[in-house]
Amino acid sequence: MLAVSLSLLLCFGAVALTRGSFITAVKAFAAMTAGAFGDWPRFFEKGAWSAVLGPWGETGNKAALLTLTGLSVAVAFRVGLFNIGAQGQLMMGAITAAVLGAKLELPGPLHLVICLLGAALAGAAYAALAAYLKLARGVHEVISTIMLNWVAVSVVENWWVTGPLRASASGDNSISGTDQIHPSAELPLLLGAASRLNLGFALALLLAFALYLWLTGATRGFEWKVVGLSAAAAETSGIAVKRRVFEAFALAGAFAGMAGAVLILGTEHKYPPALATPYGFDGIAMALLGQGNPLGVFATALFFGGLRAGGTRLQLFGVHKSFPELIQGLALLLVAAPWAWARLLNRSWRRA
Amino acid sequence: MLELFEALLYSTLDAAPALVFAAVGATFSERSGVVNVGVEGMMRAGAFAAAVAALVMPTPLGVLCGMVAGTGVAAIHAVLCIRGRADQVVSGIALNLVMLALGTFLLEALFTPSGSTSIAQLSRWTLPGFDKVPLLRALHNHSALTYLAMVLPFVAHAAVYRTPWGLRLRAVGEKPAAVAVMGVSVAQLRYTGVLISGALAGLGGAVLSTATLDRFEHHMPSGLGFMAVAAMIFGRWTPLGAAGAAAFFAFGNALRIGLTSSLPEISHYLPQGVLLALPYVLTLVVLAWQGKGASSAPAALGVPYNSERR
Repeated sequence: MLAVSLSLLLCFGAVALTRGSFITAVKAFAAMTAGAFGDWPRFFEKGAWSAVLGPWGETGNKAALLTLTGLSVAVAFRVGLFNIGAQGQLMMGAITAAVLGAKLELPGPLHLVICLLGAALAGAAYAALAAYLKLARGVHEVISTIMLNWVAVSVVENWWVTGPLRASASGDNSISGTDQIHPSAELPLLLGAASRLNLGFALALLLAFALYLWLTGATRGFEWKVVGLSAAAAETSGIAVKRRVFEAFALAGAFAGMAGAVLILGTEHKYPPALATPYGFDGIAMALLGQGNPLGVFATALFFGGLRAGGTRLQLFGVHKSFPELIQGLALLLVAAPWAWARLLNRSWRRA
Repeated sequence: MLELFEALLYSTLDAAPALVFAAVGATFSERSGVVNVGVEGMMRAGAFAAAVAALVMPTPLGVLCGMVAGTGVAAIHAVLCIRGRADQVVSGIALNLVMLALGTFLLEALFTPSGSTSIAQLSRWTLPGFDKVPLLRALHNHSALTYLAMVLPFVAHAAVYRTPWGLRLRAVGEKPAAVAVMGVSVAQLRYTGVLISGALAGLGGAVLSTATLDRFEHHMPSGLGFMAVAAMIFGRWTPLGAAGAAAFFAFGNALRIGLTSSLPEISHYLPQGVLLALPYVLTLVVLAWQGKGASSAPAALGVPYNSERR
């Protein structure tokens, strides 16, 4: 929490400096808050629900994606593995959801469920590849998942989406990306037309809770923790270490794949020519800032989802919308070295 | 056929230096026992600083500024990892995120969203006589950095394997406690390793924005830093191996670009994406094939040294 507020402060200073005025920075941050958590003044003045619900929707949708990829990284952490591959798994899930959503013709809820499950399976399979390389061949998962990320980008975006899966041009407007998914596969909106908030948010929240219960309540969840804390101790007490690691990593992939599905079925409605935002990498930040706790991940994701949603409003003040990512990176850096700033604070306290 | 090969060689030599510098640099950091996945961020800092600095000073000095910027980012990594005993992978990733966003932010604040103002590119060297001979012609007309990239791996290899300092550097990555017992500072060696890595990554980034192109573009270095780390692993943590792997990756890339432009029909049989994925798949296959026993990663890689715990 301290890390986050400290980095917010740093960035505030940066805005004030680059825009040459303190007032602009205040206004920019106010706009960002309004964009993230609702434009309350406008709501009270005019009673416009959309002023509040609209931003909520943007925040919620982004938070859902951040939560899912964050959970992915957090689960892998539990067994002591670093899943840098959430991005690749997300892409595999996304393309699977896009294909299933466009090619299958099924009644409403069933279609949606199949798309989600398919995407989760694709993500899990892609992660299982890295887990296999780790367990059977001793290839470090950090390396293999980085490689697999690039393979996913190359294969999905430079081959499938531009080649065999490219949307067939209808009429005279040429389309980029894959075919539109059927409405039956779309994640339904939760708050009606006023907001783009979709079921993905509820799904992410639900999964965060489920994972929390699983990790704290289930025997298997406990075994994962033991494996992560000490593989040797786990081995001696009769836990099948390799199998547990494999399971957890596959589940991590499933979460990331699910994130891909939520992105496609919720907001994009097709696989675009290129996924603009690296949500998979953001997941690392979410997991670390949320300290590996599923509920912590959700809270962090909600906060940064809000910053992201509000970040687009910063552009009105000539500040790039990548700003929230800067804050996130700085926060992560501060988390990486609790020592560094704890020392700084200590020193200033002593002086006071 | 000869001409095609010559063209391939030429574009490889033009593209490889960035990767070679970064990969060779990464060996210094990792040999000393500090994981460096922050190469991408260091390259970005180098590319940006070099392009901006070259606006107000001669380009070669700009390149130096790029190196300084890379070293600066590496210094943060070093302090966090060595003094702070932070998780080295986390620190590297965090630096990547920060540099990615910071680069975009500064680019927007100072220039246009897509790229910085053009600078004078590094001049290209003309080697007398070379332009007449076929094949050797490919060696002609590169920037000085290309020639440096041909020499540096050998110098680095000699430094790591033929000097007392190199022996200590390697030892500190294998068994830091032993080095400490000898009365040599673990931290100092590791700082040096990480800072060299940063300087070379910065140099690699500077190649992109001063030699390959004449400005900083918003996506630089677009994953080359991760490629450099892969090349280093592929080259089994040795400077020459890393440079060789980097050159191989660059050649593969040149081959892909050359093939798709000279033989457009090929995309019917082999999609662009497959060719793009090939180096990564190959790396994975080689790593899997090497298996557990043959891994030559330094033994203490990624483990912070704590002199109070032996």
